[in-house]
Amino acid sequence: MLSYIFRNLWQRGILLIIVSIIAHSIVHLAPGEPSEVDPSNPRMQPEDIAKIRAAFHLDDPIHLQYLYWMRDLFTGELKSFKDSQPVLPKIWERFLNSLPLFICATLIVWTLAFPTGIQAAIRRGSIYDRGSTFLAYALISVPGFFLSYIIILWVVDLFGVPVIGMRTFGMEDAHPVFQSMDRIWHLVIPSLMSALTGIAVLSRYVRSQMLEVIGQDYVRTARAKGLDEDTVIYHHALRNALLPFVTLFGFLLPSLIGGSVIFETIFAWPGLGRLGYEAILSRDFPIILTINFIAAALTLAGTFLSDLLYAVVDPRIRLE
Amino acid sequence: MKIKWFLILAPTLLSLGLLQSYFWVPTYETQTKGNPDRVTKFISPSIADAKILNPALNADTASSQITGLVFEGLLDYDEELNLRGRLATDWTITETAYLIVNSQAHFPDGTRVTPSMMEMRIKQAIENGKLVELKELVAEISLLPPQLRIEEVTLTDTDGKPLSVQVTLNIPERIKFSLRRVDQHFFDHLIPILGIDYEKQAPLEQWVELSSPDKRKLVQPQLAQLIPIFEHNPIILFNLRAGVRFQDEHEFDAGDVKFTYESIMDPKNLSPRTSDFEPIKAVEIVDRYTVRVVYKRLFSPAINAWGMGILPEHLLNDTALQLEMNKRQLSAATRAGFGMRDSEFNRHPIGTGPFRFVKWQGDEFIHLTRNDDYWERPPEYKDYYYRVIPDPVTQEVEFLTGAIDNYVPEPHQVKRYKKDDHYQSFSSPSFAYTYIGYNNQKALFADKRVRQALSMAINVDEIIEYILYGEGKRITGPYPKNTQWYDHSIKPIPYDPKGAKRILKELGWKKNADGWLEKEGQVFEFNLITNNGNLQRKAIMTIAQNSWYKLGIKCNTQVFEWAVFLKDFVNSGLFDAVVLGWSMGIDPDLFQIWHSSQFGLHKLNFVGYKNPKADQLIVQIRQEYDLNIQQKLAYQLHSLIAEEQPYTFLYTPLNNLVLDKKIVVMKDDDTYSKIIPTKSGNIFFYFNRWRKLEFTPF
Repeated sequence: MLSYIFRNLWQRGILLIIVSIIAHSIVHLAPGEPSEVDPSNPRMQPEDIAKIRAAFHLDDPIHLQYLYWMRDLFTGELKSFKDSQPVLPKIWERFLNSLPLFICATLIVWTLAFPTGIQAAIRRGSIYDRGSTFLAYALISVPGFFLSYIIILWVVDLFGVPVIGMRTFGMEDAHPVFQSMDRIWHLVIPSLMSALTGIAVLSRYVRSQMLEVIGQDYVRTARAKGLDEDTVIYHHALRNALLPFVTLFGFLLPSLIGGSVIFETIFAWPGLGRLGYEAILSRDFPIILTINFIAAALTLAGTFLSDLLYAVVDPRIRLE
Repeated sequence: MKIKWFLILAPTLLSLGLLQSYFWVPTYETQTKGNPDRVTKFISPSIADAKILNPALNADTASSQITGLVFEGLLDYDEELNLRGRLATDWTITETAYLIVNSQAHFPDGTRVTPSMMEMRIKQAIENGKLVELKELVAEISLLPPQLRIEEVTLTDTDGKPLSVQVTLNIPERIKFSLRRVDQHFFDHLIPILGIDYEKQAPLEQWVELSSPDKRKLVQPQLAQLIPIFEHNPIILFNLRAGVRFQDEHEFDAGDVKFTYESIMDPKNLSPRTSDFEPIKAVEIVDRYTVRVVYKRLFSPAINAWGMGILPEHLLNDTALQLEMNKRQLSAATRAGFGMRDSEFNRHPIGTGPFRFVKWQGDEFIHLTRNDDYWERPPEYKDYYYRVIPDPVTQEVEFLTGAIDNYVPEPHQVKRYKKDDHYQSFSSPSFAYTYIGYNNQKALFADKRVRQALSMAINVDEIIEYILYGEGKRITGPYPKNTQWYDHSIKPIPYDPKGAKRILKELGWKKNADGWLEKEGQVFEFNLITNNGNLQRKAIMTIAQNSWYKLGIKCNTQVFEWAVFLKDFVNSGLFDAVVLGWSMGIDPDLFQIWHSSQFGLHKLNFVGYKNPKADQLIVQIRQEYDLNIQQKLAYQLHSLIAEEQPYTFLYTPLNNLVLDKKIVVMKDDDTYSKIIPTKSGNIFFYFNRWRKLEFTPF
């Protein structure tokens, strides 16, 4: 087990470096310049641009730029091109903003997907099952941003309440109860919108897992023992059906960082996704690369974690 | 059955908990629900976040909007776009002119020039001779001794790389004239004394020594600039407002003005405004409330640069930066490169403007609060929020729910808002215009009649009506329509496809078998391009293509990504025609866009317009300090360019804005009235007097 862990970590470390090199090359070779050295800005003199380029190491060979980036990243000296602020604190601040949205959306996904999926499995073939299947596929197929705009326009038109951002603006001096309720209200729609696809997909998984488990011998045995249906379903069947979902926890990790670029942009949510998106638009290389690096690290860590978790919950699996 | 109940209760409770919050949230009509202070805040949306809150360092709209509220310049523009004093109460513009005494030259009567003779002859001519008209202009004449000056010159070598050369200037005796006002023709008045070719007789090479003589060839074209025979040094004397304090209580004085200038010129700070202040020779402190600014040459728009916010010296000078470095415990490596650009000041600015900076939450908002100590009447609003909302739909949604106070509608939404009496709507002229530019360097477009014919074929009114939904105004020339430089008497080129056809026929273009115009075996064919992402330009391109097709002109259109568009086509001059727009300044200087010297890589006269008469007018305008004469010259330039049609000038888009209806302008007697834009189209001119009422007036 230990040797597996070490070997795996070592491999993933190498992979991470390769990923970072590829990402670095792609970002630097893509057309366009950081907006600070944009030669089309008539206010900038060619000499000034040359100086800024030198300060950003933009004229060095690409492998040297990579080394500078790595050095600065690990010494914490890495600064954004855009505003010369240190990159890591900036990312951390945005991460904290993204976190409530992520938690709320995850809660909605996991609490709603299980009951709907289980019910669909129990009443297989019923109108409820067919209806939920239709709805799930509809939600998977309709683009999230499109649905979000429709919902926003609908809510604003019908109720006239703000739905954008982390809170209603200009409420700083309002009563604390109003303020906190306002914050919760602002979480509702973006987290629901970003959860919809998750609910649809996960409830499909739950349904198929439950159907598989319900057909097993031990479920028939439980029924034969004379246990009531609820005990059979929720005690005997559900527990076994849950096994594969443990691994999904591992995959949650990377979505922490790149989870909702679209929804953060639509809802003006000052989170990590939007930071990355704006960094790409202004070619802010340090930010793009660092977010990408963290996302890659989290993905590798996530898959590693799910491997381990699976081994822990399912004793049939051994890691060699 | 705990699990079953858990599975039912958890989502139910979660949903209820989330949804009940709806009942606590305010709406557009009930903005003060649980939040009575909402009316004391102004919340403005922005597509982009600010970058650096230092007026000397920022170049983006968002940052300058904020620094415009926190900082204040020496002057700004009033309702009529005339300059008015802010931190400066008033100013006077005079001139010092220098004349080099060339002892190798001869006076028209054949006598050799000597310094004392020169001085005497000029003085006599002014007192009682040929130059009596200068008596009122010249305040003082004196003779300066020879001078030795060492200068660093930046040149471009044969490979186009920048190169620095040290030159030693042996400047002979000079005569110094103190003039009561600026006169670009001053030296022309002296011709009767000096003779017509005095300037040409100067042995410039003898006066200039090089550290590396092999570079002489490169320096040669710059000699006349290095050691001008006739030198104009305009001088602006600013009287500053006494008793104005920065928002940290420190008093503003002449030192801050000088410091601001020096910070911009300090190469370490990489200020994007260097070119605005480059014409300045020296900024001198006369006393605590008086500053003298001496300019290197005649350049009347240079005064506008002083509209830029003045920085507090005591927070940004070397001592202050040293203190900051110590406080932040920076590493030696960081210290070495540490400058104003790295200072925390740029995120916590302190100025003398009507609003104080409070907080900047990246990509979310910037919060300002009223400066009660402001020297003029402090703003009515207590707080100003600048919200970053990148998406226009989101902006509109926020506006409709009362979470922002103004919104810039898309052209197609304007009519809808104008009809809706929940809001107040504005349309006012802007400083931008859209055009089709022809590559004047190509033989196809070299003849102005061809360009006129192309313009005549396009129905601009139709473009304004259908593409801009009527939210645009026709323009005829290169100046913004709301400035005094625009000559409204010039008629636009009429929409006349038949006339266009006739002109082309006269020029020898005949239809060939395929229906295309042809001349000497060449089909009239060219490419019209524009940048990606601007739907209006794309639509214009299609309309132009179709209009020209009707004449038998084969126009191919293509859209490119902005970076590619600029790099591969516009900057390199490899294009036939482009659809583009300019955003103009308020001053009448068109040097960068229209002067023939500004044709070349990365320069703005990329269409290659070259006209000696236009060049002369452009230079005269930027050297003229009298507004009335400037206006006359600008009219001439306008009509010349309108006639030559290097561009097909299309339209200037209107700035549209919708405001919360509860916002009004307060008068001195505490009554209120509707907001009315100024003649130049500025809706926010009286912003400091805006107040939001708790009810909807009017």
